Amino acid sequence: MSNIAGKAYAMNLITPIRGLLVPLNKAIFWAVGTPLLKLSLRGLQTLSMIHYARWVILREHDFPHLSPDQPREKLRYGYMMFFSNFNGSWEQYVDSFAAAIPSGLNLLWFWNVGWPTAVPETPFHRYVEFNQIWTDYYYSAYPMAASNDVKSAQHVKQSLCDFVERTADSAPEEFLRQYHGLLKELQADLGMLAATPIVSLAAEEVAWRRKHPGAQQSARSDLRPPAAQVANDIGQERGDTSRVVALGQLPAEQERRNAE
Amino acid sequence: MPNENGKAYGLTALCPLIDDSQNDRSYAAIIKDRLRAMPLDEASPFAAVPNLYLCRLFVLDDVFFQGHPATEDHLRSKYLVFVAELHGKLAPFLEGMWRHAAPAIRELWELCIDFKRVQSPRDFARYIERCQVETTFYFNGSNDLPLAEQLKGLYLKQELAKFAREHQGRDAVSLQRAFRAFVERVEPSNLARPTWRAGASSLDVAVTGEANSEASP
Repeated sequence: MSNIAGKAYAMNLITPIRGLLVPLNKAIFWAVGTPLLKLSLRGLQTLSMIHYARWVILREHDFPHLSPDQPREKLRYGYMMFFSNFNGSWEQYVDSFAAAIPSGLNLLWFWNVGWPTAVPETPFHRYVEFNQIWTDYYYSAYPMAASNDVKSAQHVKQSLCDFVERTADSAPEEFLRQYHGLLKELQADLGMLAATPIVSLAAEEVAWRRKHPGAQQSARSDLRPPAAQVANDIGQERGDTSRVVALGQLPAEQERRNAE
Repeated sequence: MPNENGKAYGLTALCPLIDDSQNDRSYAAIIKDRLRAMPLDEASPFAAVPNLYLCRLFVLDDVFFQGHPATEDHLRSKYLVFVAELHGKLAPFLEGMWRHAAPAIRELWELCIDFKRVQSPRDFARYIERCQVETTFYFNGSNDLPLAEQLKGLYLKQELAKFAREHQGRDAVSLQRAFRAFVERVEPSNLARPTWRAGASSLDVAVTGEANSEASP
């Protein structure tokens, strides 16, 4: 189980909407794509930590039905699914969302059962934690890259290709002048990629699995990080840790923490 | 089309699990075990799939009860949920996914209803399309380029940063000579090689296809 692939975090939320209000909620999503309500999500563009995110609204008849033997879903509510791929910790993301587009969040989730409003943050955190489903497997094609790295890399590639073509026949002094211009142009894009430091129990789990491919969690007898690290992890990833332990998914973690 | 944002495509598929009420162990638990044991990052079977940016899998057992005064609601099937961000059109992507990762796909999906009929790339594409649910709103905070473009960009970003750091203060003649050797090595316009390895989780394995590199395939 892991919501983390390097610098990317996978969030899955599934929340109920009162059935009659599903078309209205869908209409709101349609409207935020038009100039009429586009401003309400303008802040989303400022959240540069997001790779991709989506909302999917389903009614009972939208759930795939593949065989006569499969019972058809019979649900009182419609359901809104939210999937996001972002960089940083759970709390950084949730807080940034609430700060950047509080009115947009209220607009999109307003008809969802139990929606507490985006501000104040504590009830909002509880709502997200309660309705989040943990990812069983997460893959990123570039776990060492943040969304900003992927975007800046294209700027680097394009500028470098142009530079190579432009300076192919340049004299050394002219080449040097142009080279300095290239570095000045790309100074905000040339940060180097590196492996992500382990900042949470979930990330630690990933690191352990990488070292022990194919092994089950119950075999984690060699996992004994310092207590200070664990305490630091708990502080940094409160959402992950409380949920993981509450679900009993990591008995070795629980055992270790009890012993400490 | 709401599943697309430019050339980025957001796939959401809910694949119902076979009824396991007669079994000692639930199929959901078996699939979760298999997912947790699957290799990660550059060793993932998904690292071989063309044009796959990100993907996740999880088992949806049920929906959450929100407490009084809400009404309790339950799903009648469990679903293997496959969420993928990819470049291009869906059917060619899914066919490519089968071609490059069929053993892992069989292992993960074999406990889903009707999957036993899937025997070919086209079958797999049709199967996932039957399980697909439509996106209501798709946000692209990255870009929509082919994965090979993105990976080559990351490789060049890393290499140019290294070059700039290592050649500070050089005179014009030697800098130009070094830069020409650099361009010959990194081949900026060649997407195939050298480039960033899909799924690379450490710098030791990040570069693929570079001359004299141990990481070269």
